[in-house]
Amino acid sequence: MMHFPSRRTVLGAASAVTLLALTACGNVAGGSSDSSKYPNGPVNLTVGQAAGGSTDLIARAISEGASKSLGAPMPVVNKPGANGALATKEVAGKPADGQNLLLVTASLVTITPLAVTADEAVNIDDLDIIAGLSQDDYVLVASKASGFNSIKDLTGAGRNITFGTTGVGTGSQLAQTVLFKQAGVKGTDVPFDSGKPALTAVLGNQVEVSTIQLGEAMPQIQAGKVAPLLVFSEERNSFLPDVPTAKESGYDVPVAQYRAVAAPKGTPKDVKDKLLAAIQETFKSDSYKEFNKKNMLTPKEISGEEVVTQWKEYAAKYKSLVEKYDISLSGTK
Amino acid sequence: MDFLNPVINGFAVVLEPSNLLYCLIGVVIGMLIGVLPGLGPAATIAILLPLTYNVEPVTAIIMLAGIFYGAQYGGTITSVLLRLPGEASSVVTVFDGYQMAKQGKAGTALGLASIGSFIGGTAAIIGLTFLAPIVASFALDFGPAEYSALALLGILLVATISNGAKTKALIAAAVGLLLATVGRDIFTGESRFTFGNLELADGIDFVPIAMGVFGLGEILYNLEERHRAAKAPSKVTNVWPSRTDLKQASGAIARGSVLGFFLGILPGGGATIASMASYAMEKKRAKQPERFGKGAPEGVAGPETANNAAATSSFIPLLTLGIPANATMALMFGALLIQGVTPGPQLVEQDPELFWGVVNSMYIGNILLLIMSLPLVGIFVKILRVRAAILAPVTALITLLGAYTINNSMFDVTLVVVFGIVGYLMKKFGFEPGPLVLAFVLGSLLESSLRRSLLVFGGDPTGFLTRPISATLLLVFVLVAVLPGIRTVLAKRKTVPVGQPVTTKIKEKV
Repeated sequence: MMHFPSRRTVLGAASAVTLLALTACGNVAGGSSDSSKYPNGPVNLTVGQAAGGSTDLIARAISEGASKSLGAPMPVVNKPGANGALATKEVAGKPADGQNLLLVTASLVTITPLAVTADEAVNIDDLDIIAGLSQDDYVLVASKASGFNSIKDLTGAGRNITFGTTGVGTGSQLAQTVLFKQAGVKGTDVPFDSGKPALTAVLGNQVEVSTIQLGEAMPQIQAGKVAPLLVFSEERNSFLPDVPTAKESGYDVPVAQYRAVAAPKGTPKDVKDKLLAAIQETFKSDSYKEFNKKNMLTPKEISGEEVVTQWKEYAAKYKSLVEKYDISLSGTK
Repeated sequence: MDFLNPVINGFAVVLEPSNLLYCLIGVVIGMLIGVLPGLGPAATIAILLPLTYNVEPVTAIIMLAGIFYGAQYGGTITSVLLRLPGEASSVVTVFDGYQMAKQGKAGTALGLASIGSFIGGTAAIIGLTFLAPIVASFALDFGPAEYSALALLGILLVATISNGAKTKALIAAAVGLLLATVGRDIFTGESRFTFGNLELADGIDFVPIAMGVFGLGEILYNLEERHRAAKAPSKVTNVWPSRTDLKQASGAIARGSVLGFFLGILPGGGATIASMASYAMEKKRAKQPERFGKGAPEGVAGPETANNAAATSSFIPLLTLGIPANATMALMFGALLIQGVTPGPQLVEQDPELFWGVVNSMYIGNILLLIMSLPLVGIFVKILRVRAAILAPVTALITLLGAYTINNSMFDVTLVVVFGIVGYLMKKFGFEPGPLVLAFVLGSLLESSLRRSLLVFGGDPTGFLTRPISATLLLVFVLVAVLPGIRTVLAKRKTVPVGQPVTTKIKEKV
C-alpha cells in the first residue's frame, strides 16, 4: 500500500531533476550569426576565479547592470582553474557572437606568463577586449612585531626579511621581489594561496610583511593591526591618501590588478558596440559606483584598445624588470 | 559577558525561519539515511554538496551538520527493530538493542537511545561552546610550522585509528597524499602530474573525489550488497523508559558523553569508534557482564550517547583549527571552502555568526530529533521498502548532476565517475575510503605548510622545535608513533596481562 506513493514521488523527483538538467543545457544552444538580433538569449559571463572572490564580485556587479540594458539575462559562470587560464581558453574558443563573455584579469596576461610554461600562458590577442573596468591596488603591509612603520624602516633594517605573497606569478610576488631588489634588501619569498592567508600570516607575525589587495587589507589597517608601508599604484590611492606610492619612494615598480570584459576574437562590431553601451550604462549607475567604493576599487573605465595597449606595455615592462634584476618568479633563486 | 554576546547572537541566526527550516530538512534527511543501511552521512553530504551552493554559508553548514548528527539517531532505529544497523556507528547497538526488542522492550531501547543521544549531543555542544574560543584564542600563533605539525599528526592518527586493516589504511592514505601533489606547484609554478592538461593545473578538486569515492562508490557497492528484504518490525510501545531502566542507564549515558566527546575530537576518531569504545567500557564496568548481548539497557544507552557526543565534538578540530577529524568532517571542510569560508583558528573571530550559528543550530537540531525520532519510527521503517533498483539510479543521477553544477565542468563529472569506480573497488577489496580522502585534504596542507615553514626558518628544520605549539604537537606525534611498540614490549614483560588498556581491545574488535 504505502510504497506506491513513495515510488511515484521518487519518479517525480527524477523527472524534475531531468527537466532541470535540460534547462541548464539550454544555455549552450543558440548562437545565431545574425547580429542585429543580439542578444539572442542569455549572455554568459565566465569568470576564471571561484565565487566570492573580488573578481567574481565585480563580474556579478557588471552582470546586474548590463543585463538590464541588454534586456537579456547575464548569468555569471565560475570556471576556476590555472589562475583563470582555463576559463580564458574556453571562452576564446567559443563562437564570436557575443553570447559568451569573459571577465579577464590583467595579471593573467602580464605577470603569470613570467612564472609558467609558454603553453599555459594566455595571449590577449586571442580575445576582443570590450571595456576596461577598474583598478585594484596592492598595498605593502607590515606586522606590528616587525616594528616597520614606513618603507625606510624596512630598507634600513639591515637583515633578511620574510615577505608573504598571494602566490606564484601574482602581482603581489612581482611587486615585492622587484621592490626588494631595487632597494637592495635581502628577502625570503613565502607564497600563500591567496590574500587572506597572506594577511593572517602578517597578523600572526609568521612573516614580517605581505603585499595584498587593498580591499582585503583595509579592515586590519583601520584597526591598526598592520601598518601600510606603500602602495604599488602609479598615483596615490584615494582610499589611503596618506600612504606613499612606490614611485614616490624612489622605486620603479608599478603593479596593480586591472580587470576588463572580453569576448572571443572576431566578434562583430555592432555586437561589441551594444555590449559597450550596456557596460557604460552600468558604470553610470549609483549602485555600481557604490560597489566600487565599498570594495576599494578605483574606476578605470577605458576602451578595449586602451586596455590592450596598456596591458601589453605592462607585460613588456615586467619582463624587462624581471630580466634586469635576474628574478625568477618560480622561487628557485 | 563579552564572551557570551556572540553566542547569543548565534541563536538569533539559528532562529531565522530559513535556517530553522534547513536545520529541520537536514535532520530529517539525516534520520532518513540513518535508517537506510549502506548510504552513510559522508555519502549523503557528498551527494548533496552542490545543493548548498546557492544558500548562505551558515544555512548550508547547519543543514549538513543536521544530516550528520541526524544519521546517528536514525541508525539506531533499524538496529533495534530490524537488527540492521543503518550506520556503522550503530553496529554495537544491535547486540543489546535487538535483544531488548525481542523481549518486547523495543520502545524502551529507542527511548533510552534518544534520551542518551540528546544528552550526549548536548553535553558535547556545551563542551564545544567553551573549548572552541580557548583554541581560537591561540589563532594567530598558528603559523605554517604549527599547521605542518598538526597535519602530520592528523595523517598518522587517521591511518592508525581508522576502521579496518592498518596496512590497507596506510596504503589508502599514501594514495591520498600522492593525489594531493597533482597540479601546479604553488611555490614554483611547476606543473606536476598534469600531463599538459590545463584542467589539472590547480590539482584535483576535493569535491569530485569525495563525491566519487563516497557517493558513487557507495551506490555501486550497495547495488551488490543489498539483497536483504526488510523484516516485519517489532511493535514499539512504552517509549518512556521505566525508572529502573533509566537508573541502570544513567551511568552509561554520563560516561558515554565524556568518552564520546574526547574520541570525537581526536583525528581519525568519530562516532563509530566512540560507540564501540563505550560498549567495551560498559561491558567492562558492569557487575554482571554476562547480561550484555542479552538486552542490557546500558549496552544501548552508552554507545548511542557516545556516538552523538562524538559526532558533535568532531566539529571542534574542524571549526577551530581547520583540520577535519574524519571523512564527514572533510566533506564539511569542502562545503565551507565552496562557500568561500576557510575554516581555521580565525573563524570564531572573523565569522562569529557562522561559527555560533552552526554550533547553536545543534541544540535546536537535537531537540527536533528528540521530538521527531519516536513518532516517525513507523514511516522510516516503510522507507526501507524502497527498492535499490529505484534508489540507486536516482542518487547516481543527482550525484553526477551535482558534480557538473559546482564548476560547470564536464571534466569534474568524469572525475566523479573515475573516483566512483575507485571507491567501489576499494570497498570491494576492503580498503576504507576515509583515509584516502583525509590524507588528500591534509596532504596539500602538510606540503604547503612544511615548505612555507622551511622558508621562514631559512631551511633549518630545528625551527619546528623552537615554537612551543609545534614542538608539543611533534612530541605527541612521536608518542603516538612509538606507543604501540612500547605497549607490545610491556605486554610481553607482564606474565599476567590484567590491565590491558581499553583502546587496544577496541582496535582488535574493529
